[in-house]
Amino acid sequence: MTEEMERDENVFLMGEEVAEYNGAYKVSEGMLDRFGPKRVIDTPISEAGFAGLGIGAATVGLRPIIEFMSWSFTLVCLDQIVNNAANIRYMSGGQFKVPITFRGGNGIAHQLGATHSHRVETIYTRIPGLTVVTPSTPYEAKGLLKTSIRSDDPVIFLENEKMLNDAGDVPEEDYTIPIGVANIERPGNDITIISYGRPLQRVVRHAVQALVNDHGIDVELIDVRTLRPLDKNTLIESVKKTNRCVIVDEDYGYCGMGAGILHQIQKPCFDYLDAPIEYVHSDEIPVPFNHFLEEAMMPSVDRIVAAARDVCYR
Amino acid sequence: MSVANHVDHAPVVSESKGQAERDRLRMMMLIRRFEERTYQEYTKPGQKIGGFCHLYSGQEAVAVGIASIFQKGKDYLINAYRCHGHSLALGMDPRAAMAELFGKATGCSKGKGGSMHFFQAEVGNLGGHGIVGGHIPLGLGTAFAQMYKKTGGVTFCLFGDGAINQGTFNEALNMASLYKVPAIFIVENNGVAMGTQVARASAEPELAKRASGYHMPYRAIDGNDIDTVIAEMNEAAQRGRRGEGPTFLVANTYRFRGHSMSDAMKYRSKEEMEQAKLRDPISLYEIRLREKGLLTDEQADAMEEEVAEVVADAVRQADVDPHPMLEDRFNDVLAEQYPLQK
Repeated sequence: MTEEMERDENVFLMGEEVAEYNGAYKVSEGMLDRFGPKRVIDTPISEAGFAGLGIGAATVGLRPIIEFMSWSFTLVCLDQIVNNAANIRYMSGGQFKVPITFRGGNGIAHQLGATHSHRVETIYTRIPGLTVVTPSTPYEAKGLLKTSIRSDDPVIFLENEKMLNDAGDVPEEDYTIPIGVANIERPGNDITIISYGRPLQRVVRHAVQALVNDHGIDVELIDVRTLRPLDKNTLIESVKKTNRCVIVDEDYGYCGMGAGILHQIQKPCFDYLDAPIEYVHSDEIPVPFNHFLEEAMMPSVDRIVAAARDVCYR
Repeated sequence: MSVANHVDHAPVVSESKGQAERDRLRMMMLIRRFEERTYQEYTKPGQKIGGFCHLYSGQEAVAVGIASIFQKGKDYLINAYRCHGHSLALGMDPRAAMAELFGKATGCSKGKGGSMHFFQAEVGNLGGHGIVGGHIPLGLGTAFAQMYKKTGGVTFCLFGDGAINQGTFNEALNMASLYKVPAIFIVENNGVAMGTQVARASAEPELAKRASGYHMPYRAIDGNDIDTVIAEMNEAAQRGRRGEGPTFLVANTYRFRGHSMSDAMKYRSKEEMEQAKLRDPISLYEIRLREKGLLTDEQADAMEEEVAEVVADAVRQADVDPHPMLEDRFNDVLAEQYPLQK
């Protein structure tokens, strides 16, 4: 964010506690000192107010970064994002563009309870006019965020509180990662595992290790990176090669993100599939507070390994 | 320094005394005629206008009053769904407006917006928004951008008396005052939110007082008197341009038509309607201009005829204009091509 604000004076950061508190999760630490209160702006607890402010400012030439303390809180400002950010360009016959990045923590963190643990990806991914981006490593976070800020379209940028302290190689220099391109994180021949964001970090990579090392299954692991527009070709080509597929997310299964992805690849891959595509997702319950119940509702390494072995018939 | 530098809006070039006033009257007449013709087109057999349609008849002094001081290229206007009048007042070609109602490719939004979503970017007309209260934060945002870029422009953010009861009103006005953005929040109070009278929707019957918690000037004005509207808007705009922050104005007015086309207006008595007609903003202004010697009978008649022809032409044109190509439905969704590398 700092690099992009230095690059373009029309970029500003706004949200709850982003300035004087230095960020609820310290993401914007030091930015107020660096850029001053004109460009790093605290807001009242008014999601609809500041989301809409950003959209209005974007339609007339600014490039706002709007931070939500949690994507769960955007349920009170859905109208701004879905009706205004996504529709203004279309409804005006293309007269306006809306270059805005909404970012914040998405999904289940740790014992935050049902109201603060929503996985909002399907809410936004199904809306034409939005793009939805979700990094799974620090390297991706920087490269994808830069592209998002530079995009002339509204971007839903899904982070996770439990990934903010992740360590990883992040080049100092300016680099970007394209939106709309999935990443083949590990090439393999026996099965394609598709996932994104937090579950990759929390369980999927561990499950892949177990499948490779303990079960001799050569997994091709794909990080979707962009949920809308979906890089269907990369997914389809992979499944055509491996003939098997498991999709993993922390969403609910019914009408879930993985169900939507599954629909995109099943038909073109039908003649290539050696087994039905499996979908590992969270249980269909509000997110419980208790640590053990919360863990139990989410995909685990064991559930992913079991699903992959089922699909491989071994 | 020339005198012109003190004028807050571009001086209207007049060929004769009273030209600016007559232009305003003409625009109010044009809007009225446009809306009444829209009513006819909507309701006659073989209906050519579909969807929701909300007419502005009776409230013209507000839109035309604002347009009188609006600085094109600098100011913004953002509005709710009753947006035909404001768009015409800001200079939209009546053909583009009527074509949009007909859903044609030549419409101001290429047939993709409809009655509630008129836009004209080049003059600063930012819509036309269908969700009650949903656009109030957008107006806060455009005013924020004007402050951020120090353009000296102001945002006129209009909504109805119904929108005051949405949460966005509270959030946007509070933030507007906190950040001192150059916004003018204008309630066009026509007394009834669809079928719910103000007294049944707002615990505080004096709507202007609803802004008393936001530390900004507020007052109720006569929204049927265009001279009052101009004076009040001008004062509020100057505050904004000076960097003194937002203003809240409640323009009391009346709509002569129903909320939308399906509204039989059973919530209004005949007496109330007749009383309201006595304060028709167009008649009031016409009388004033005659009294001031700025308008003759011949001029008034000629203007009526002229706007009738302009609207008739817009209808004829909209009727023969093409529908959008079916393939065009996929255009204007996103600004970028994907995959996107920047």
